[in-house]
Amino acid sequence: MSLSPHTTPSGFLLPSIHSAPPFFTQQPNPATQAIVEEQWIRLLLSYARHRKLFTLRVDDSEDKGGEWDEVLRNERINRRIQSAYLSKLIAKLVEKNVAAYDPPRQTRSVLVYWRLPEEWAETLHQWADSTGQMNTILTFYEITDPPVPSPLSNVPLPLLRTAITILAKTNRAQIIAIPDGEGVRFFPSK
Amino acid sequence: MHRRGVGLAAFDRKDQAKRFAELSSAISQSQISHLNSQLDQFRTALTHFASTHRDKIKSDPSFRHAFQQMCTSIGVDPLAGPRKGGWWAELLGLGDWQYELGVQIVDVCVSTRERNGGLIEMSELIRLVSKLRGVEGGSISEDDVVRSIKTLQPLGAGYKVVDIGGTRMVRSVVKELDEDQTIILAIAQDEGGRVTVEMLIQRKGWLGERARTALEHMLLQDGLCWLDDQDEESGRAYWIPSAMDWGTDDTSFSFT
Repeated sequence: MSLSPHTTPSGFLLPSIHSAPPFFTQQPNPATQAIVEEQWIRLLLSYARHRKLFTLRVDDSEDKGGEWDEVLRNERINRRIQSAYLSKLIAKLVEKNVAAYDPPRQTRSVLVYWRLPEEWAETLHQWADSTGQMNTILTFYEITDPPVPSPLSNVPLPLLRTAITILAKTNRAQIIAIPDGEGVRFFPSK
Repeated sequence: MHRRGVGLAAFDRKDQAKRFAELSSAISQSQISHLNSQLDQFRTALTHFASTHRDKIKSDPSFRHAFQQMCTSIGVDPLAGPRKGGWWAELLGLGDWQYELGVQIVDVCVSTRERNGGLIEMSELIRLVSKLRGVEGGSISEDDVVRSIKTLQPLGAGYKVVDIGGTRMVRSVVKELDEDQTIILAIAQDEGGRVTVEMLIQRKGWLGERARTALEHMLLQDGLCWLDDQDEESGRAYWIPSAMDWGTDDTSFSFT
């Protein structure tokens, strides 16, 4: 049996380690586990980036046909990641600051930071700038669901809020209360 | 009473001894100079050989092998000598070449140790070293690797070529594989990396306990194998990465 990379229907190139049966088992040897964990983390992040997925849940391991299916299971070798192992990996993502529990105070669901909040902040500011929306008040909805698809389309609100908070620290954005909720105003960089 | 040493004859004898000594030193002188001239000739011939074939020795593995064999048969170690790197090595630049290869072998062994537990198949090692050297590096053979590993011995790093079930592997950890582990590795070679307790019982007649102990030891202590707890047949299979066919995909461990 030869292990080889595989391109999924969604066009993602899985590395050959994904076709190795033991990859789907948590390794009892800590040194070995550290290596495969690293592989899983990279794999999850790059897949999230590829599909623009923001949320990963422990339950996704059981969700046959779900949006994470292509990485969490490998039908060709009849393996899938078990929820206990996925839960460990999710904790690892959070520990490495590449994910955050969302909502807070639970550990079964995370926001995956395939772009760091700081990078989202820059993306957001650049988008506002390039679309000529400096100094105007925008609703969160206008950002996450713009008429013209943008890099910010479908960004979860908690992540958007974190990004705006980061911009606010350098006086490049300000959260404003508007009649039906919250809005934001962007300011040019000084 | 006969007294020797007096009279004219005694002068003769002394004179004779002196002449013998002179003669003997003259003969050894001439022998030495003869040897010297032979050595000079040999050296010139070698220099000539080295300068003519240097590039070929470096670039052609089979020629290099023949050259190394010739060295062995005439009792010359191309790397040994009074000078640093050896006299011949200096002429050929072969010493540097060999050490450089040694460094690259260490590089590959160390960087893959995490995934294979310090045991790498010879062909895989050669493939990765060749990749590291790039195209201009010229091709290298098993023989070269074995020689380079020998030059690493004084470092005491424990690099060793071992034969496991007919496959040559390079071990880069100071850790003797015991007999049971060698048998397990040989089975893994045949099975694409997968070994189970049942296989060892059926094929080698081991008791279950012996098989389990050996496999768990490799898994937990040595990190030589990975666990698969979703194995359809036995529920718990052991996979030995150094025996798995990773194809030529190097992205597995460094993709982003």
